[in-house]
Amino acid sequence: MATNSGSPGRVRRGLRIPWGMLAAIAAAVALWAAASRLIPQADLYLPSPAAVWDAFVDLLRKGVLPDYVAASIRRVILATVIGLAIGVPLGVFIGINAKVADFFYPLLNFFQSLSGIAILPLVIVWFGFTERTILVAINYTVLFPVVFNVLVGVRSVPRIYVNALRTMGASRLRIIRDVLLPGALPHVATGARLGMAYGWRALIAAEMLVGANGLGFMIFNAQSFFLTNRIILGMLAIGTLWILIDRFLLRPLEADTIQRWGLVQR
Amino acid sequence: MEAKIVVKDLVHEYSDEYTGQHVRALDGVSLEVADGELVAVVGPSGCGKTTMLNILAGLVRPTSGRILVDGREVKGPGPDRGVVFQELAILPWRTVARNIGHGLEIQGVERGERERRVRQFIELVGLEGFDHKYPHELSGGMKQRVALARTLAANPVVMLMDEPFAAVDAQTRITLQEELNRIAIATRKTILLVTHNVEEAAFLGDRCFILTRRPGRVKRIVEIPIPRERRQWKTLTTDPEFTTRREQILTLVREEVRGGDE
Repeated sequence: MATNSGSPGRVRRGLRIPWGMLAAIAAAVALWAAASRLIPQADLYLPSPAAVWDAFVDLLRKGVLPDYVAASIRRVILATVIGLAIGVPLGVFIGINAKVADFFYPLLNFFQSLSGIAILPLVIVWFGFTERTILVAINYTVLFPVVFNVLVGVRSVPRIYVNALRTMGASRLRIIRDVLLPGALPHVATGARLGMAYGWRALIAAEMLVGANGLGFMIFNAQSFFLTNRIILGMLAIGTLWILIDRFLLRPLEADTIQRWGLVQR
Repeated sequence: MEAKIVVKDLVHEYSDEYTGQHVRALDGVSLEVADGELVAVVGPSGCGKTTMLNILAGLVRPTSGRILVDGREVKGPGPDRGVVFQELAILPWRTVARNIGHGLEIQGVERGERERRVRQFIELVGLEGFDHKYPHELSGGMKQRVALARTLAANPVVMLMDEPFAAVDAQTRITLQEELNRIAIATRKTILLVTHNVEEAAFLGDRCFILTRRPGRVKRIVEIPIPRERRQWKTLTTDPEFTTRREQILTLVREEVRGGDE
């Protein structure tokens, strides 16, 4: 963030082959393959990469994997969009007034730490084993980091900017639009990224307990049939998808706003 | 003719956030600024001069006293009083042009007219070619020019300036002071300038109000009858008319600083 955005290294960022990452993955797979060879009854306890590959090809051909991936991604994106739509206005509203912000701060911090998995049993009591339960749980999970970060963002906007606009005769709405929202934008990006990360974890848990599809359901269901290779395939999919979302959607988004705003703010 | 700014018996008291003590910051300050006049207010730090300016801007409510700007009572912030703050108050996410046009945008001035006025004030403060730069791409002095242009472009009745050049280096400060003098000639604006810098007050003020240490009161008014056209640092520093006034103000301020130390 402190480095100059005009450096050539940054421009080529998207094109560089991540050799380091590929090497790390190769090492992990090699270790896994070796361990799988040493373990008795490996197909049950730790299937080899080849066995997991077979499961991958099988579920891809049957269309199960694409369906479940789509279901999980749809849920997390929906929750993020709803979380932002509710969380940003709410965070701004609470953040405008210092007293209101002080009042809500500990509550928001509390709920931010209480993960969606922890409230899942309660939500199941409310709505049963339904799609609604999944959505409520991950919406809850996404919402609080967003509200919390937007609140902090609004509070961190230098007071002098607000005063400058007031002396120019600006209305409250104008101050929100021209000062508080753009000033809080890097925090909005951080909130969205954290919210989605928490939401993704909560989603897998919710799908395990409640779902009839999705990656969480897939690995939990596979366990009943001792299809360990499917479990590992699901784990790989969950981790890989998150890395892709984070690397190609969230990180660039956050880096761009923070870089622009952060550099700019002094 | 009636003065553009009238301050009558301004008193400001507050209770200190940390100590809970009752503090009287301003103790019955009265002053007037005539149309087109530049009045400098100097005083030791903590004498309440910035508080006074914030009250004039409508950002702080006084305990008692009256303020009239252009004959109208001040009740809150308003575009009739343009403020240039000591801290950098231009928005980092707006370009130079959009910062300068911000006041006009708020006033609802339509785009064509806005752009014309923005160009005019970009020229006035010498920022041609920087229209589309962001503040972080500018030097400290240039940022303060943007702030000055933003305030002027909105065409306020009076301009209030709070230590506007305190945050820039000495060389830039000298240049900006000369520019403000030039702008005062060009725009004939009524300006109230708060500063702790005696040289600056003497260089820019038609009159200079010296405040006592806290609680702030007007200690003395020093007139500086030097035509604006003659106010150039190069020649003024050896001009006895300037130097005697400067020494006079300096002595008055020093009395207050010394008194405060005891």
